[in-house]
Amino acid sequence: MHYVIIGNGVAGTVAAETLRRFDPDGSITMIGDEAGLPYCRPMISLYLEGAVSQNALPIRLDDFYNALGITPVLGNRVVQVDTDNKQVRTADDKPLSYDKLLIATGSDPRPAKADNESLQNIFFMRTQSQVEQMLTVLPNAKHALVLGGGLVGFKAAYGLLRRGIKVSMLIRSPYPLSMQVDETAGQMIRHVLENQGLNVQVGVQVSSFEGDSQVREAVLTDGSRLVCELAVIGKGVFPAHDFLPKDKIAVDAGIRVNGHMQTSDPDIYAAGDVAEYIDIARQKPWVNAIWPEAVIQGEIAGMNMAGRPYAYAGSLSRNVIRIFDTDVMTAGLVSPSPDDTDIQVMSHIDPKRATYRKLVFREDRLIGFALVNRIEQGGVLTALIRSQQPVAIAKDSLMAPDFNFSKLMLF
Amino acid sequence: MREVIVHPERCVGCMQCMIACAAAHSKTGELFTAIAETPLPKPRVHVGVGRFEEGFPNRCRHCHPAPCMAACLPGAICRDQKTNTVLIDPDTCINCASCAMACPYGVIRYHEDNSAPAGKVVAIKCDNCIHRQRQGKIPACVEVCKVGALTFEEMSTAMKRKTDEISRSMSAEAGAAEKSPGFALLKTIKKARTELSAR
Repeated sequence: MHYVIIGNGVAGTVAAETLRRFDPDGSITMIGDEAGLPYCRPMISLYLEGAVSQNALPIRLDDFYNALGITPVLGNRVVQVDTDNKQVRTADDKPLSYDKLLIATGSDPRPAKADNESLQNIFFMRTQSQVEQMLTVLPNAKHALVLGGGLVGFKAAYGLLRRGIKVSMLIRSPYPLSMQVDETAGQMIRHVLENQGLNVQVGVQVSSFEGDSQVREAVLTDGSRLVCELAVIGKGVFPAHDFLPKDKIAVDAGIRVNGHMQTSDPDIYAAGDVAEYIDIARQKPWVNAIWPEAVIQGEIAGMNMAGRPYAYAGSLSRNVIRIFDTDVMTAGLVSPSPDDTDIQVMSHIDPKRATYRKLVFREDRLIGFALVNRIEQGGVLTALIRSQQPVAIAKDSLMAPDFNFSKLMLF
Repeated sequence: MREVIVHPERCVGCMQCMIACAAAHSKTGELFTAIAETPLPKPRVHVGVGRFEEGFPNRCRHCHPAPCMAACLPGAICRDQKTNTVLIDPDTCINCASCAMACPYGVIRYHEDNSAPAGKVVAIKCDNCIHRQRQGKIPACVEVCKVGALTFEEMSTAMKRKTDEISRSMSAEAGAAEKSPGFALLKTIKKARTELSAR
């Protein structure tokens, strides 16, 4: 059996390892547009910050490809998939045949839609090499702008601040991390950032950048100007599947897969940021482009490709972030729509202890939570959401500070 | 292969397992001196309060596959095959708490520890007292438990014992196979009290 994996991120990497475990004899080719070993993408912000060195980023040993008998085709991006002849073609026009194909191409950063975005010293923060470029520019940067209040923007701002640069965060939403948290937690987070010297502006957007060859200034939609020698765009990501024949493979926001990570073509699978399946909390197709999902989906794709029909229950959005002394953990549906009638929300804020706890239920099932501080046992709640089982104990006890696993034991 | 097995119905909530665990993971290894150490040693087993104020020793199950291992960003979590122990490497750990988000049992804590570089907060959880096992000893929590809520044995042995208990209870002549009638009464009173106050 000849397996081809497009992508050497964590989904592709775990899929390759899983394939090798279940099929010791099959041939495996991994095509990746980044050269080098698979590495931990979420850690590049720690590298920017200076908290870890470059050596901490790889997640596999130097002989990874060799040891598993994988043929790497690196520094290459796939431009075409011919599903009739079962071939993929890379940018240098090399055709590669497959029996089973896994698309684990991840996602690409979204542009900010501002003029002159291609000026020098305006960066995305998606790859290790982009952070390396940022680091060379840092010594000459006094003011940095970060566009976007999401996870990437957040981590870029934090990293630059820790490097001693004055940072302004420009957010379109009314509060930071608006995709993860609600207004209450968002404002708590904003205060933490501002107390630490980060300038946070909400409800703003950049309309253009200005400079000769290098960026010097940003102009906001309200006409105001901000000086900057460095800018980072954290305006989200979108799944990378441009190269696919859309008449052959069903694509929505991401590549549509079934519970076996199979696309509409039975010999083609998808996993990771590029894939779209049912979100457990939302109960509808969704892309959850997060690291732990890529790991899980890569393994399930590998098992199914090797002939083991393991089924996937669905993805769950979740995130944990530590910012200065404040910890935030979120999962599932945190900000339900006011139109949702069978939703119950329980929340409690303790300003003295700087804690916030919010639980979202759909009838008797937990479908979301947001915690500010006291996050250590959050995984119990994650597991409750994932189980999709009704909560059999009083919901109040989930809110109590002494909630722990043993409260769920019913014997 | 022997492993730590929890028998929750026997736990009296005395928390001696927590103290023994912390002492076993201290620099000096003795309770008397452990309480004066910096950083202060902390337990890896957590006696939580149940619904009826009964105790439960919540410890890492060394799951296979382990959700924490899959979620770990820098790959700091691995398994010692010989003892089936899931281990966190404090040097590689970046304190991101992804493992806390993944652990269905909530058994991971974050603090400084003498096993970690000085001043570094890392993820800490039960390590099956692997250092004690290598010296021919049993895990500290098991050693100290007076009521048999924690045992160190082959899973098959424990399951056979349970099967025998249940089989005996099916016999027509079976009397109350209660091993600890006083404690069973206490638990019943606690449960009744909780349920009555809920009404």
